[in-house]
Amino acid sequence: MTIDREKLSAAETLRATRTFGKVRCHNPSCMERLQPPAGADHVKCPTCGMEYRLFWVRPDLPRIRGPVWDVNRRIAEETFARKEGAKAKKAPKKGGK
Amino acid sequence: MALNRKIAYIDLSTGEIETRPIPLDVRKKFLGGRGLDAYLLYNHTKKGCDPLGPDNVLLISGGILTATCASATARTHVMAKSPLTGLLGSANMGGFFAPELAWAGFHHLVIKGKAEKPVYIWIHNGEIEIRDAANLWGKTTTETQWTIREELGDEDVKCAVIGPAGENLVRFANVMTGIKNAAGRTGMGCVMGSKNLKAVAARGTMDIEIAHPVDALEYNKRFIDQITSAKVNKTQGTLGTPFIWGATNSWGGVRCRNFQYNQCEYADDIEPERLDEIATETIGPYHMTGCFGCQVHCRAQYKIPSGPYAGRYDEGPEYTSLGAFGGEPDCKNAVTVLTGNHLVDQYGIDNLEIGSIISWAMELYELGILTSKDTDGLDLRFGNDEALLEMVDRICYRKGWLGDTLADGGILASEKIGKNSFEYLIQVKGMNNLHSDERATPALALNIATASRGSDHLRSRPAIDLYHLPEEVLRKIYSNPVRYDGPLSSEHTSYEGKPWQVFWQENCFMAVDCLGICKYHTVFLGATLPNFEDWPKVLYYNTGLEMTPEEIWEVAERCNTMERLFNLREGLKRDDLKKGDMLNHRYFDEPCRRGAPDVIGKTIDREEFKKMIDEFYEHKGLDENGVVKPETLKRLGLKKEPSHLL
Repeated sequence: MTIDREKLSAAETLRATRTFGKVRCHNPSCMERLQPPAGADHVKCPTCGMEYRLFWVRPDLPRIRGPVWDVNRRIAEETFARKEGAKAKKAPKKGGK
Repeated sequence: MALNRKIAYIDLSTGEIETRPIPLDVRKKFLGGRGLDAYLLYNHTKKGCDPLGPDNVLLISGGILTATCASATARTHVMAKSPLTGLLGSANMGGFFAPELAWAGFHHLVIKGKAEKPVYIWIHNGEIEIRDAANLWGKTTTETQWTIREELGDEDVKCAVIGPAGENLVRFANVMTGIKNAAGRTGMGCVMGSKNLKAVAARGTMDIEIAHPVDALEYNKRFIDQITSAKVNKTQGTLGTPFIWGATNSWGGVRCRNFQYNQCEYADDIEPERLDEIATETIGPYHMTGCFGCQVHCRAQYKIPSGPYAGRYDEGPEYTSLGAFGGEPDCKNAVTVLTGNHLVDQYGIDNLEIGSIISWAMELYELGILTSKDTDGLDLRFGNDEALLEMVDRICYRKGWLGDTLADGGILASEKIGKNSFEYLIQVKGMNNLHSDERATPALALNIATASRGSDHLRSRPAIDLYHLPEEVLRKIYSNPVRYDGPLSSEHTSYEGKPWQVFWQENCFMAVDCLGICKYHTVFLGATLPNFEDWPKVLYYNTGLEMTPEEIWEVAERCNTMERLFNLREGLKRDDLKKGDMLNHRYFDEPCRRGAPDVIGKTIDREEFKKMIDEFYEHKGLDENGVVKPETLKRLGLKKEPSHLL
């Protein structure tokens, strides 16, 4: 077997795609890249309104510690009510005329 | 060299011990670790054997790279027929045991029979003895290890042991090493207990010759740099795996109250940063430690800050303990998590299974299916921390009707409890799920439904699916080493291309389990971590064994098929809720109520799920019933199994 010592593997070539200083919004279809100011303790997604508390693993590596509960809970409850309401409207009515 | 490590056959009924080399052609087909164990299990057990009888075999092994210069080759694998599921039993742990076993001359142990009285096995520099363990019986996992070290007069002896849970034949008892390293799924400690085997102790000073030492060290440096520079591993090395639970809870991907909810709200007190703040010995970067040969250091050390166990030292907690003693029973108290974690480590029991089964019992209690008569007066409601910890004790020691009943695992317990209790049991193939909620993530749902050892994330979970990676990045990973031109989607709520991702991940995880490398050193939580292309170099430089990425992929496929053959032989049926590739009805019928807006309302679509299974089977070379096709057996060289080569 010939081993090419210099050739980079797929994993190594993907290293260039790493980003520091940013977190991604946790809302699945949003996933906006958010860049909080260094040391900030929370960040709000401008796209979907979700808010998060932050922890800094290193000065260049923030992570989402958790949601700002009151804000995201309100968004969740409103969304649930809207989706369930839409589902109820869509469902065929039972019984005859 | 690594390839001359032997296999030992130990019969506890007769006391006979035989050692043999592992032929190179067997190595090339199965490499080692979990893959070779799957071959041995299929060959050394008969259909329908009693998991707790002498005919079941207990396999303990290291991977082919264990104890070499390769990074993080610390994993010990344990396999047997599972007393929890009646199917494949398989569990994997970190620590230092497998390297010590390799330095003592062995990569694989095949333990059969049953000792008349408690014993332990002592392995040292090619020698194996069976010794009396009467003085060890009843001891906790750490007491057992220190007693053995004292008895043998060597503090460097490494042990794989069971605690009281294994002795009491709790069907989800662990095999453990060190403080908290647990081969903790499918009840391997119960099998060990059924054989009256309290421990396997190893100490070795037999050198492992490295085939190309300079190349091995140079390449390992490059490999380590790739691993330690990843963001995910920097975070792991600071907060440990609890950071995953915290992040997942943030968007609504964890289970709460036995899967009634997909988020544990206001759980600030059990976030990893909070644990770091309150533990006497902090969990932060200066108190992190690691397994043999690992630079990630994802294991926290702590002392319990208050409560009845204040001052006790332990390690972790992991993601699973946050789920088991925090989110799932809705006990948002850091001291409860740290205490629960300590108890399961000492008793030697699967934190994931016990947290799930107690939460199931809590829901049954709130529904009135279980009454205070069944609980001997214990108020088993969600959020009752004291009741949660009391139940850990009762299950491990089989105290009271409920403790004894739950100790047999969910399916047997549901038969005893009756009514419609089974409907609320969140399991696949008889094993409870990780404390994650997969209703918004079809790939992850497919993973747990089809995992070979029952509902599990460490068999085929494409966790990077959650990162919204661009399609070109996904294609770079998932079209290698085998070409894949089908669809791939960046959307983790999509069904598109997910069967291939799960199939790829299944082979990736099997490959590292055969090599003996930790999963945090491959594409699991990080897209830029090593995979198939990187392993041939590590393998060649360390062992001299030449294999291409495609050949390693084929080994992984072969070993996964071997596990499938075992499960099919023991009764796996595609849509069987107790023994099949099927999910609890809640995945399909009850929508997510909490978390991020796009998670709200999500369920798994039954038709789409069926299509995913069909496609997954096609990739694996299975027919529509999930049975291995003859042409697949031929392609993978498995037509003559069981072949009894070893």
